[in-house]
Amino acid sequence: MLASLTWKDLIGAAAAVALLAIAPLLVKSNYLVGVLTVAIIYGLWAASWDFMSGLTGRENFGYALFIGAGAYTAGFLDTAYMANPWWGLPAGVMAAVGFSLVLGFPTLRLKGPYFALAMLSGAAILQRLMLIFWEKTGGEEGLYGIRPLLDSQLGFYYLVLGATVVSVMILVLLARSSWGVILRAIRGDEASCQAAGINVTFYKIASLAISAGFGGLGGALYAHYQLQVSPQLFSIVTTITVIIMVYVGGMGSIYGAVGGAVLLTLLTELLRDFGEWRLLVYSLILILILFFLPGGLIAPLWRKLRGAAR
Amino acid sequence: MAEILIYGAVTSAIYAMLAVGFTLIFGVARILNLAHGSFYALGAYTAYVLTTVLHLPLLPSAVLAVLFVAGFGVGLERALVRPLRGSQIAVLMITLATSLVVEQVLFLTFGSEYRNVPSLASGKLTLLGVDISAQRLVTLGVSVTALSLLWLFIQRTRLGSAILAVSQDPEAAQYMGIPSDRVFATVMGLSAGLAALAAVLAAPFLTVQPGMGLLPMVKAFAIVIVGGLGSIPGSILGALLLGYSETIVAYLISTSWTELVSLVAVLLTLILRPAGLFGKRAAF
Repeated sequence: MLASLTWKDLIGAAAAVALLAIAPLLVKSNYLVGVLTVAIIYGLWAASWDFMSGLTGRENFGYALFIGAGAYTAGFLDTAYMANPWWGLPAGVMAAVGFSLVLGFPTLRLKGPYFALAMLSGAAILQRLMLIFWEKTGGEEGLYGIRPLLDSQLGFYYLVLGATVVSVMILVLLARSSWGVILRAIRGDEASCQAAGINVTFYKIASLAISAGFGGLGGALYAHYQLQVSPQLFSIVTTITVIIMVYVGGMGSIYGAVGGAVLLTLLTELLRDFGEWRLLVYSLILILILFFLPGGLIAPLWRKLRGAAR
Repeated sequence: MAEILIYGAVTSAIYAMLAVGFTLIFGVARILNLAHGSFYALGAYTAYVLTTVLHLPLLPSAVLAVLFVAGFGVGLERALVRPLRGSQIAVLMITLATSLVVEQVLFLTFGSEYRNVPSLASGKLTLLGVDISAQRLVTLGVSVTALSLLWLFIQRTRLGSAILAVSQDPEAAQYMGIPSDRVFATVMGLSAGLAALAAVLAAPFLTVQPGMGLLPMVKAFAIVIVGGLGSIPGSILGALLLGYSETIVAYLISTSWTELVSLVAVLLTLILRPAGLFGKRAAF
């Protein structure tokens, strides 16, 4: 799993990206472009959640905090300060990284489950804050009237696709470098890593910050796609949707997470008439995966395919 | 002043019931149960169905609701948690998935509007010059009784000793012939029952809606961190601290700021004393 990228991996990735790039040209429908845009933003979130949590084994149940921070920052800059909307992207990344540092220092000393719960509380409190300061944040309704980044919907789709491809490539390369090895080692035995002279705290916080940064980027893109942001973004539902996507894809593989996100988003659209049932279906899928496919679906499938094509 | 004293006591009592159940499961089974909030929501909704839809008398429906949720807790432990106990993360995920399923089922059945659960006791009383609804006083009385009974049960009975033994050393307890699986199931039932009791008592003066379980669970977690994971006296003390600080904040500033108290408490504890007030092991 830790072997460097093979040409088969590169061909597989190129084929997947090409498919996503051509799909809107084959089926000319704004609806499909919209669905795919959301699917790919979720892919970016799932990949960056997987980078921190899948590798170090510290499940982040407050990931929505970074998504929300990125989205609200982009929304604020655009609606309150009327800044050039492009500034929202770097600002969203910085806001998310800032939050990850503030929260990471006290919480990352905690072992897995406590870290998960502490982050969950953090996101819940931030959602609450959005309601308390409703005069600035718009309360339940959130921020409205965010401007689109590009006039053409198709253009925005390619922007999102490009940003996600570059981000996922960075994450995959990092995960396969010595950095990734250290993160996996921390997952295995933190004390031994410390004894071996590895600065465990640095690696944990840095990987949280990286994961948060890409989450914030996705959040900012999402704000400019929806043209509004609501406190729901901070909710546990957002986090759990991302986590379920990673589980479907296969923890720790990163590319699997993207596949899981695209697969589940498309599946959701097929079940559109049962919109209210979406979360129930997701939770049941999660329970089934935990019991029957602990390794996920996409990543093991790809490994099999790669092996078969030898 | 007297208002803060009395209202703070009621809030603390509800928190204590939630936090003690949460910490009990952790102390004994080493499980962080994210479905704890759904026990609370399920308790309130069962009471709602029994009283408002089936028109049963209040007291029996309260008892039935608590028993039903306790049974649900035992069933959850048996069917979903036990097979995955090998991995802490899998347990965390499965309890989270369960809580989402419960919330969604409640949402699909009852919709998102607020429901009312009738009070066990009606009317108002005056205590220390403060007007207080009888329901709040009943809540205070019942929860103090329930927690004292739980304490006696753990300290004085055979099953209680078994629970203590498993919490101290699960392996050694098993060698002594203590059926740890049954102890886990008992603890899950107790904890679920306590959460449901808190819900049945508090539902008349709080809002009942499908997502009602999340915030109380976050608070139970905050209390347990402050008091020390796995320590029952710690979580009672934590509940008092949080209950009173929230009441004071509500009086001095505004009710919408109360949610922040728990965050500040958690962060301060994690930085200053990560093991919590009474915790033996640090949380990291």
